[in-house]
Amino acid sequence: MTDVIDETLASHNQTPEAVPEAGLFGKAVNAIGLLFAIGILASAGLLFYEVVMRYVFNAPTRWVHETVVFLSALAFVYGGLYAAAIDKHIRVVIFYDRLSAGMKRVFNILISLTCLIASLFFAWAAWLSVKRAAWTPQGDFRLETSGSAWNPPYPGLLKIFLLIILVLLVVQFTIFTINYLRRKGQA
Amino acid sequence: MDFLFDFQSLGIGGATLAMFVMLMALLLTGMPLAFVTLLVALIFALGWFGPMAVPLITSRIFSFVNSFVFVSVPMFVLMAAILDRSGIARDLFDAMKVLAGRIRGGVAIQTLLVAVVLAAMSGIIGGEVILLGLLALPQMLRLGYDRNLAIGVCCAGGALGTMVPPSIVLIIYGLTANVSVGDLFSAAFLPGLMLAGFYAAYILIRAYMNPALAPIAEPEDITRAEKLRLLKGLFLPILVVIFVLGSIYGGIASVTEASAIGVIGVTLSTIIRGEFTVDLMIGAAKQTLRTVGMIVWIGIGASALVGVFNLMGGINFVSNLITGISDNPTVVILFMMAILFVLGMFLDWVGIALLCMPIFVPIVRDMGYDPVWFGVVFAMNMQVSFLSPPFGPAAFYLKSVAPPDISLGDIFRSLLPFIGMQILAVALLIAFPGITGH
Amino acid sequence: QEFTFRIQSSDPAGNTNFVLQKEWAEMVSEKTDGRVAVEMLPVETIVAHSETMDAVAAGILDGHFTDTSYASGKDPAFGLIANPVGAWSSPDQMFDFMENGGGKELMNEMLEPYGLHFIGATTPGLEAFVSKVPLDGVDDLKGLKLRAPEGMVQNVFAAAGASPVNLPGSEVFTSLDKGVIDAADYNTFSTNAAQGLHDVAKHPVYPGFHSMPLIEVSVNKAKWDSLPDDLKTAMEDSVREFATYQSETVLKRDMEAVEEAKAGGEITVHDWSDEDRAKFRAIARSQWEKAAQASENSQKVYDLLTTYLVENGLMAED
Ligand code: NA
Ligand code: NA
Repeated sequence: MTDVIDETLASHNQTPEAVPEAGLFGKAVNAIGLLFAIGILASAGLLFYEVVMRYVFNAPTRWVHETVVFLSALAFVYGGLYAAAIDKHIRVVIFYDRLSAGMKRVFNILISLTCLIASLFFAWAAWLSVKRAAWTPQGDFRLETSGSAWNPPYPGLLKIFLLIILVLLVVQFTIFTINYLRRKGQA
Repeated sequence: MDFLFDFQSLGIGGATLAMFVMLMALLLTGMPLAFVTLLVALIFALGWFGPMAVPLITSRIFSFVNSFVFVSVPMFVLMAAILDRSGIARDLFDAMKVLAGRIRGGVAIQTLLVAVVLAAMSGIIGGEVILLGLLALPQMLRLGYDRNLAIGVCCAGGALGTMVPPSIVLIIYGLTANVSVGDLFSAAFLPGLMLAGFYAAYILIRAYMNPALAPIAEPEDITRAEKLRLLKGLFLPILVVIFVLGSIYGGIASVTEASAIGVIGVTLSTIIRGEFTVDLMIGAAKQTLRTVGMIVWIGIGASALVGVFNLMGGINFVSNLITGISDNPTVVILFMMAILFVLGMFLDWVGIALLCMPIFVPIVRDMGYDPVWFGVVFAMNMQVSFLSPPFGPAAFYLKSVAPPDISLGDIFRSLLPFIGMQILAVALLIAFPGITGH
Repeated sequence: QEFTFRIQSSDPAGNTNFVLQKEWAEMVSEKTDGRVAVEMLPVETIVAHSETMDAVAAGILDGHFTDTSYASGKDPAFGLIANPVGAWSSPDQMFDFMENGGGKELMNEMLEPYGLHFIGATTPGLEAFVSKVPLDGVDDLKGLKLRAPEGMVQNVFAAAGASPVNLPGSEVFTSLDKGVIDAADYNTFSTNAAQGLHDVAKHPVYPGFHSMPLIEVSVNKAKWDSLPDDLKTAMEDSVREFATYQSETVLKRDMEAVEEAKAGGEITVHDWSDEDRAKFRAIARSQWEKAAQASENSQKVYDLLTTYLVENGLMAED
């Protein structure tokens, strides 16, 4: 019995791969995910450090909380692209699963295309917000800061990062659409 | 661009209905939930206001991810992912064998005890259901347990993670309702244990009424020394529970920080057990990235939809609709429960919390109820949402690790009695608010 | 009506300040004979509190009723003018600075390039200080773990020897209760009392010695420019009247809450001596000087503010 449990655990814990329809781009998204995964580990360490500094040494930092929020936000935003590349976004497939292979392919094409168009709109809107977060009204480059005592430019950086990820989502959904059209991978 | 503004002619009532229908229809196509809500938000932003309203959505995405409280999500997920990869949960399961003893339905009770300890360590659902599905389900099936009972215990037990504190559902509720998360945790202890008690009673009653449902394991004489060795498996998990809850109630850390202390606690446990490797941590972190990508983007979509709906004037509309249903506050509360129940069939709890709480909580406050009590009722109602078809996350998680001959339909059928007990718990909380201490 | 303004507040729906702001919306309607309708929305209804400036500029919202310090991320000057810690002893002083000391003109000089027009300022009044331990002067701040809002308030407390902690408002009560922090800069005395903070922190300092937030009413500039002059004047008047009304209402409530707290016998209300208040102001002033260097506009704020304070005998020339 023990071996069965070991096997199920091991197969469950395999690191996921990008689905074939995500293309080379999806593989790259999967690989770069490592960076943001490390950011999550770092966040846990930093929060622990903050608690120790405050509780034991009575010296809370002014940078840990903001940095942890920033690292987590990067992981959250990237996680959306990552889950798209490995096709792990939560979906209701009760109806979809009953479709024929041909209809599934049509659905896949339409869904990817719709997500592509929506992402395009969002990328455009994110660009508008980056214009406000990265330049002053006078046209000088100045990243929006958090306004705290430490005042890091995290909000400006995060808005730029969001724009980049939305653009990459457009790319990812374009690749999905094309590959479903060409029947690449399994429909 | 005139056609764009046609949506306003629907009126807010018609638009609300159209929004709901569009959500359900798109959901059933198999489109990812996060993109369904984002798309509906986009369509209504464009159709009701025009392109100038689209930046509202990206602004809400930015604010949603940029929040301190949400840091606890990756921390809880990471904790579960490390547990998955270590032998900690495994030893905990074995240790509970000693406690559950040789009673009828012993393995199911043992599973439930593990579920409660896991629930007190962490605050999310996925990790627990998967762990129970991996550890307990094969063992119960091998012993010849009734399949429905075995499946139900794993799913319902795993869902307890968001009812027994710490709980991410209560954290998010606290954030949207602006009430103290510490108070919510204190108030949720008893109701969480009460629900676990219902499950235990159900297992025992069924097992004793029909012994064929839960055969007793072959007599296996465990020596005292062996018992002590097994009980050691309890030590590290209990230590983590003390780390997390102790740091909150001992005034050492805020709730969000405590979730990170849990991660450190679990990591230390793997070091003590000699299981710690860099690969283990990286693997767990990548799994966390994937899971938070799923969870947070569902929240992002819901948040975007709420923003657009509010700008359309939806809050007032729904709020008037609910308060107009009756002058009797209990009826209004029951109506809210019905809405939550129906939404729980289709949507994820994050989405439901973000959609409904800004509307419900002010009404609840105005009617003179305690928002802390309502938070506990809400969390209990979300217990139902994890199990109810067609969108039942606990069932999905279990399916991902269950033997292939168990279909999603089998799982949902097994869950019906457990949903019944959850609804009973919701009803009791409404009838006797004192259970929460509020 | 001819004009409607959808205005998002930085206060939540149940908050007393928000309830008052809804009264302002009625005042506007009365003053303009119903030609202008204002719809007040609670915080986060449409966008987050820190995002309203962009939303107003983009025309998603028509205006915001917000703490000016939320714009510090765009230009630190907003943080300095929003809360020059220790500068004001009463709302009237700040109102006079805005009306007659050039404050209003400077606000518009800073805000209009972003696409917003500043109509006027208000404030709930001096904040009270919540503490678990007795605080009778600046020396007692040494080593104190306190929650303070982001920005200069934190810097001033740090300069006074305290350890400021970043915490969301929703975690303040539990953190005080469990002793994660000893004290908190939170809200006015009556609000603190209503939220039960004094039950877990029995040594409030009142009147406060630190913050008095500048709450601005600003609207989309293009929309403002489209208003006829008589409506512009009516809206400006309404904000001015509201400011006096709000600060007086809050003061009255605070006094009642203080009396109630004293009568209860459980809570000790501490009041600082003039010497200690002056000491704190001196520490604060050293931080204004630092803050002035943060941007071109910050220097303008600092110059205008110190000139006004010196001319009106509120601060010694040095
Ligand atoms: Na839990
Ligand atoms: Na469900």
